[in-house]
Amino acid sequence: MSREVRALLHILVGAAVLHISLFSELYLRYVRRGLRPYLIASGALLVVVGLVGAAVAARELLRPTDDGHSGHDAHHGHSHGTPRTAWLLLLPVLAIYLLQPQALGAYTAQHSDSTTVRPAAATGGFAPLPATGPVPMRLADFDARAVWDTGGSLKGRQVVLTGFATPAAGAGGWYLTRLTITCCAADALTSKVEIRGGDAPPKGAWVEVTGHWQPDGRTGQDSAVPVLTADRVRGITEPGDPYE
Amino acid sequence: MADEITVEARPNPDAVPTAPAGRARLRGGSLGALVAGMLAVLVGRRFLDGWTGPAWLEAWGAVFVAVCVQALPFLLLGVVLSAAIAAFVPARLLERALPRNPLLAVPIAGAAGVVLPGCECASVPVAGRLIARGVAPAAALAFLLSSPAINPVVLVATAVAFRGQPELVAARFLASLATAVVMGLLWSRFGRPEWLRPRVPSDGPTGRAAFRASLEHDFLHAGGFLVIGGMTAATLNVAVPRGLLKDLAGLPGVSVLVLAVLAVLLAVCSEADAFVAAGLSGFSTTAKLAFMVVGPMVDAKLIALQAGTFGRAFAWRFSAATFAVAVTAAALTGWWLL
Repeated sequence: MSREVRALLHILVGAAVLHISLFSELYLRYVRRGLRPYLIASGALLVVVGLVGAAVAARELLRPTDDGHSGHDAHHGHSHGTPRTAWLLLLPVLAIYLLQPQALGAYTAQHSDSTTVRPAAATGGFAPLPATGPVPMRLADFDARAVWDTGGSLKGRQVVLTGFATPAAGAGGWYLTRLTITCCAADALTSKVEIRGGDAPPKGAWVEVTGHWQPDGRTGQDSAVPVLTADRVRGITEPGDPYE
Repeated sequence: MADEITVEARPNPDAVPTAPAGRARLRGGSLGALVAGMLAVLVGRRFLDGWTGPAWLEAWGAVFVAVCVQALPFLLLGVVLSAAIAAFVPARLLERALPRNPLLAVPIAGAAGVVLPGCECASVPVAGRLIARGVAPAAALAFLLSSPAINPVVLVATAVAFRGQPELVAARFLASLATAVVMGLLWSRFGRPEWLRPRVPSDGPTGRAAFRASLEHDFLHAGGFLVIGGMTAATLNVAVPRGLLKDLAGLPGVSVLVLAVLAVLLAVCSEADAFVAAGLSGFSTTAKLAFMVVGPMVDAKLIALQAGTFGRAFAWRFSAATFAVAVTAAALTGWWLL
């Protein structure tokens, strides 16, 4: 792999990273928000390394040489035998520019069970909810309270949940679903709430559901799916950060 | 392209190609193809705008891009540190920093893993560089294994994921450090130098030019293998049915092994694996510990990265042995502490 190609490879990878992190918010489909400054720094570093490499290559090309023996890589011992695998770095670049994969959604959620990890508050008691009005909540928090709160803080409260629809096993039933990521999409966990009342939205459609928790006794299990009776289901556009 | 690589792969720097004209053509070919490819992508984007693939392909692509993008900053951190060691740290300093006796050097190097606040992607290039700079492989390998598992960032993440279970943090620290030290000692006893890919001698130039050259070298060597690891992890992530795990979770004894294998398959970053472990309902705490001890030391992405840095002969032997030691360490620590 020649010096020029190596330089271009660095620039391409760096540009792809900057494309999703600095010039758009596409990175939110793949990694958590907190990673943005590191992505920008990484992209910038790669572009700079590539530009410096290109400048060195250009200088070598322009410098008059007596014969082939002062060839480009001759005094460049470190870069000998760049492995052919380095070309694979073009794959994520192509994936980012051409495929531009959507964030994980209904397909992933359908293939995994709802996970409600026993929160620390399960022993110490949950913080009280705001006293008035419908309470907007993360889906994972709703699941945690519904499954683990022995104090029953959700009883009789109207809550507002945001997620996408996935079909449930029974006819006509559906889940409001959201994925949580910690680091990147590879570690996505699924939270589901079974919605009763109202027609099922199309699979994958983003909705905001206002409703009441319907206790069904299936509490205290990691994989329990709580039930919500919907008062209102409203279609919304996909939020900027599709994960919770 | 093949011709060009055979030319460049010659170990002797003086073995300059004898046909400059032909070489120039090849160079131009490779560069030209890349530029033509870029133009094709720019045109292709217009046609593909708004196109979405089948659901499994989208999910595969998202996990693939996610693993690559997420690992990149950590890989670069490791590459920059490695280049800095190559360019600015005198080789003799590192040789003298550790005692000659492996019984002392290995535990010290293992404990030194506390200082590198990254995940496993950062530790591979650094360990590779340490070996190139004359550090005993046994000590460098102990560092390679311990640093992604016992650094403060990972331990705090573990404490947050398992709130109210500080004994699990302690168990993770102890089991990981023990695995790293045992593997280092095993290497000093049974390891053969020829398993490790020989590195360019370390008495090369120093200073800024060397820094840039090492940075390029390490990034290109590790980068392609990171992509292979990303593809493997994405395929397994999308293909392995989670229901199967549920069925296996109930069997005592098997559950530890199941989560250890899952850690290898999923290749979750060590800074996030505690949260994934916490979400694996139905498994025993010891099984979750095994997931967190094995994951940072052996996983699909890491085996590929090690193959790129140390060679394939090393990667599979070392990963297999590490897997066995890590599972044993996790099982013993779990039985003792949890």
